Amino acid sequence: MASAATPIISLNGVEKSFGAVRALRGVDLACHAGECIGLVGHNGAGKSTLMNLLAGVFPAEGRIEVDGKDIASRYSVATAQAHGIRCVFQELSLCPNLTVAENARIMHASLRGFGWRKRAGKLILDKLDEVFPGHGISASDIVGDLPIARRQMVEIARAFSVTTAPARLVILDEPTSSLDAHLASQLLAYVRSFVAKGGCVVLISHLLGEILAAGDRVVVMKDGKVVVERPAADFNRTSLVAAMGSVAHDEGANAATADTKRSETEPRVRVAADRQAGGPELIAHQGEIVGLAGLGGQGQSEMLIRIFDAAGKNARNVTVVGGVALVAGDRQTDGVFPLWSIAENITISSLRRMRRGPLIDGAATEAMAEDWKQRIGIRTPDMNNPILSLSGGNQQKALFARALGSDAQTVLMDDPMRGVDIGTKQEVYGMIRAEAEAGRTFLWYTTEMDELKHCDHVYVFRDHHIVAELSRSELTEEKVLHASFAEVA
Amino acid sequence: MTRLAGSISMLAVMTVLGMGSALADTADKKIALSNNYAGNSWRQAMLRSWDKVTKPAVTAGIVAAADPFTTAENQVTEQAAQIQNLVLQGYNAIVLNAASPDALNGAVKEACDAGVIVVSFDGIVTEPCAWRIAVDFKQMGKDEVLYLKDKLPKGGNILEIRGLAGVFVDDAISKGIHEAVAENPQFKIVGSVHGDWDQAKAQAAVAGILPSLPNDIVGVVTQGGDGYGAAQAFKAAGRTTPIIIMGNRQDELAWWKEQKDANGYETMSASIAPGVSTLAFWVAQQILDGKDVPKDLTVPFLRVDQATLDKSLETTEKGGVANVEYSAEDAQKVVDAAKK
Amino acid sequence: MNGSVLSARTLRNLLPALSLLVLLAAIFYLQPRAISYVGFNLMLNLAIPIAFATIAQMCVITVNDLDLSIGTYVGFVACIGATLLSGGIGALPFIKDLQASGALPATLPWIMNTPLAGVLVLLMGIGVYALLGALIHLRNLPSIVVTLGMSFVWLGLSVLVLPVPGGQAPGWIKSLMTLKTPFIPFPIIAAVVIAVAAHILIMKTSYGAVLRGAGGNPKAIERAGWSLLKVKMAMFALAGFFGMLAGLSLVGLTTSGDANIALRYTLLSIAGVILGGGEFVGGRISPIGAVIGAATLTLAGSFLSFMRIPPDWQIGAQGAILIIVLALRTLIDRAEKRR
Repeated sequence: MASAATPIISLNGVEKSFGAVRALRGVDLACHAGECIGLVGHNGAGKSTLMNLLAGVFPAEGRIEVDGKDIASRYSVATAQAHGIRCVFQELSLCPNLTVAENARIMHASLRGFGWRKRAGKLILDKLDEVFPGHGISASDIVGDLPIARRQMVEIARAFSVTTAPARLVILDEPTSSLDAHLASQLLAYVRSFVAKGGCVVLISHLLGEILAAGDRVVVMKDGKVVVERPAADFNRTSLVAAMGSVAHDEGANAATADTKRSETEPRVRVAADRQAGGPELIAHQGEIVGLAGLGGQGQSEMLIRIFDAAGKNARNVTVVGGVALVAGDRQTDGVFPLWSIAENITISSLRRMRRGPLIDGAATEAMAEDWKQRIGIRTPDMNNPILSLSGGNQQKALFARALGSDAQTVLMDDPMRGVDIGTKQEVYGMIRAEAEAGRTFLWYTTEMDELKHCDHVYVFRDHHIVAELSRSELTEEKVLHASFAEVA
Repeated sequence: MTRLAGSISMLAVMTVLGMGSALADTADKKIALSNNYAGNSWRQAMLRSWDKVTKPAVTAGIVAAADPFTTAENQVTEQAAQIQNLVLQGYNAIVLNAASPDALNGAVKEACDAGVIVVSFDGIVTEPCAWRIAVDFKQMGKDEVLYLKDKLPKGGNILEIRGLAGVFVDDAISKGIHEAVAENPQFKIVGSVHGDWDQAKAQAAVAGILPSLPNDIVGVVTQGGDGYGAAQAFKAAGRTTPIIIMGNRQDELAWWKEQKDANGYETMSASIAPGVSTLAFWVAQQILDGKDVPKDLTVPFLRVDQATLDKSLETTEKGGVANVEYSAEDAQKVVDAAKK
Repeated sequence: MNGSVLSARTLRNLLPALSLLVLLAAIFYLQPRAISYVGFNLMLNLAIPIAFATIAQMCVITVNDLDLSIGTYVGFVACIGATLLSGGIGALPFIKDLQASGALPATLPWIMNTPLAGVLVLLMGIGVYALLGALIHLRNLPSIVVTLGMSFVWLGLSVLVLPVPGGQAPGWIKSLMTLKTPFIPFPIIAAVVIAVAAHILIMKTSYGAVLRGAGGNPKAIERAGWSLLKVKMAMFALAGFFGMLAGLSLVGLTTSGDANIALRYTLLSIAGVILGGGEFVGGRISPIGAVIGAATLTLAGSFLSFMRIPPDWQIGAQGAILIIVLALRTLIDRAEKRR
């Protein structure tokens, strides 16, 4: 192939920051016609940022060459489409209120004029027939009415469909997450045939079997950088996992701290496994820090919400003793009251204890706010300043103060350290440790390996199931990764 | 309720009974009142008068029905829909107090086209096919000055209290006053304030302008609802009370009576009576009866004089307006006057 | 998809039409003479402007916004229709006052009497709507706040144009709105034309799919390379256009303008969209349903007054009808979900 020499798209030292977070720190990647690139990495490694960049959704710094021409400054969705670069995003990019045919039209601006609906329907159905024979989808179905697997099938077929611009590079982000094994194998077969015809596919998946089976080349990302890039044939499952968690070995020694014996008393929180019969149940005792690990979005947050909802009620399969407080990870949507002061944000959960008649006792709330300012070290001259005057880390501290200041016996933490600087993290870790020793129970969902090391006991989640249960002494990054990535493709 | 009103309505019934055979033609006719607003004492009195007169009329078999309908939001479109529904419900005549002089014309025209008689009063409509019972507010202003001319042939300085700025009633009354003053140059308007037809506002406005006015004010021309406030302002300023024209409100009449008993104070009072709705009812009934009625009618004022003061005050509720219900004969007189 | 789910959806789609039929049956029972050529003319002619206003509101709701200024905007258009559009600048009350006082000559030059001034102002109204869409999108402002503010602007402008009710609707609008069509009453023909035209525009054209998609998943539309700014501006401009038709048809019926003529339209239009099967978010709308919703609300007023329900209760009763229909819809939805 003549074009094999010039890549369809190549990135050179591309960087991307969101505020203080550096999502990509100098990525080099070249996508050639006729190959399937498997892209793997732990959560937050920068895979999604990279693919958004390839799709032209947002600009970045560095050199981006399409067909050998540097167009970094002018790269946009339109340019990407004109050059045949398509994306299937992890969160579905279909309009649920439109029909299958209309969604095809959204992608293809050339489907217009009289009879466009019919042409769009034929286009998408032909592609569906090609990728997923026997799919059972009709062009006039409203996408919102379709089960999630079929929606994903439509989106995949749409990405491969061709009108005026060719489909040369298709990026698939977790394309099989909602597909069953049969549909997944249909897709992988199609990917191979697409590649054989000279197309290029970037496949992102946490199913390592898929990567090894379909990929020609595997690219491993970590902390916003490409750390390993080798032909797929050079890898096996174990070596791939090892490539992703290269740091695990350096710090492995620390993990072998004393393994506290699990208490025999009645646990504070017990969640029976209701979906998989006989699977392990989640148990948390008084004074324990229990980690919920695994890849992002595998049911950990839902588990915390279930526990939170069950508190004080007679819920099926969930037993919770004592009060529960939640520290939300997404501060802006679930955590802070943006228009309130720091003091108000901290005391809101404890107002019941600080009433004078029907009114709020101003002196008591002020005292509590000041107390927590000292204990947790919130850096502000005045606790009556608006909460948004604080840095992200200090806002998070305020949310911790809210939870710890309440009389809740159990504190649920939904990945609370997202976007928090390392110094603050260390302070909060110490505080959690101290509070646990004082008898509080913590359930901590985190995707960061370092944080799991603070836990007494870790449950690894995959696809809404608990797939592994590790005590402190057993905990290694390798084991968590092994459990997080499925055994079979 | 009160003796005067009671006797008038009794009279109405008796007249009606006496004319029973002549009115038989309208016995199967239905009349509706379409009213845009019921939120003040004047409108409430208007609706009460309607009930008081039309219920006996229905009982006596003069008309088959006379139902009042009031829109909830004083909106043109709502009243237009109301008129259309009344047409569909088979009313033969609609007595209308309209939310807008122009914007209901479409609906009124449709009603006319469907053969329904539309008689508008108070809030009248300009659509030519409808009847209008209008109040000659300009004449009311003129009458005030003419009364002063009778009492004070020598003339002198007068103060004008106007109503709510921008409302056509205010313009009309004021125009009448100024025309009459122009015809009688012995009078001179030395000041003009807006009292918004409200005693408290009028008092404040008059108190504000008094210091800048000459001491010899002989008369105050008003628009109703402001006379009592004006009197209080004069008293507070320590000035002699001039002749203040009143507007039939109960507090005005009560003050006048008090002054009359104390020092023989003389003045007059005039306003449009809420019972004008009953006049419109009888006009509608006469039109249905086949009588020839001109399209434009003028409603007489309800005027209270020195002689009728005691009786009017007795029949007026506290916080209300002197009222009168009209009879079929009154309607006949109004029609005859318009034919001339 | 199995048959039963399909039937729940069909039921849901048919709900607006069914409620209209039930209402018509009830009206026929109470007042048989209303179901006639004249009856439909009278009951439904005020539904035409409401139907236009509902379509306008629907355009805004499609992109997950809400227009609280549509009522006063319709009033503004009515005032322009009764003045500038019929007699040009010379028809404005304050110009007439100037003429009466002699400051202006009795006969005005051509430029002062041309209805083009009205056309120009109405086009500017649509332009303002498009700019509002741009403002809401670019500054990420809540549409409720922006349009609530605009409602006072439109009202103020209407009062400036027409301080007291009056003016004269252009003859061609009047004669169009009072058209006596053979056999089928004009309001019914008009409603069908509005519904079909809006349906083709929003539901059938290829750009219409993009417009609706922007309500369902704006991110997806953006990722597919469409400009959300253009979409918002297009939808708001469409709202301005249909709002203008609402004002013109209303002034054709009332024959004269009034700044407060259509204040209720804001709520009626929102209720009409919802009653017609639309939803506040997600771009799920139905132009045909919206027109049916507008007709249902209009007929509900007639029905309640035939029922002899006092007007003070009518708003509450209208609300009750709305709640009943919405409750039915929720029940159907729930039944659908359970399957």
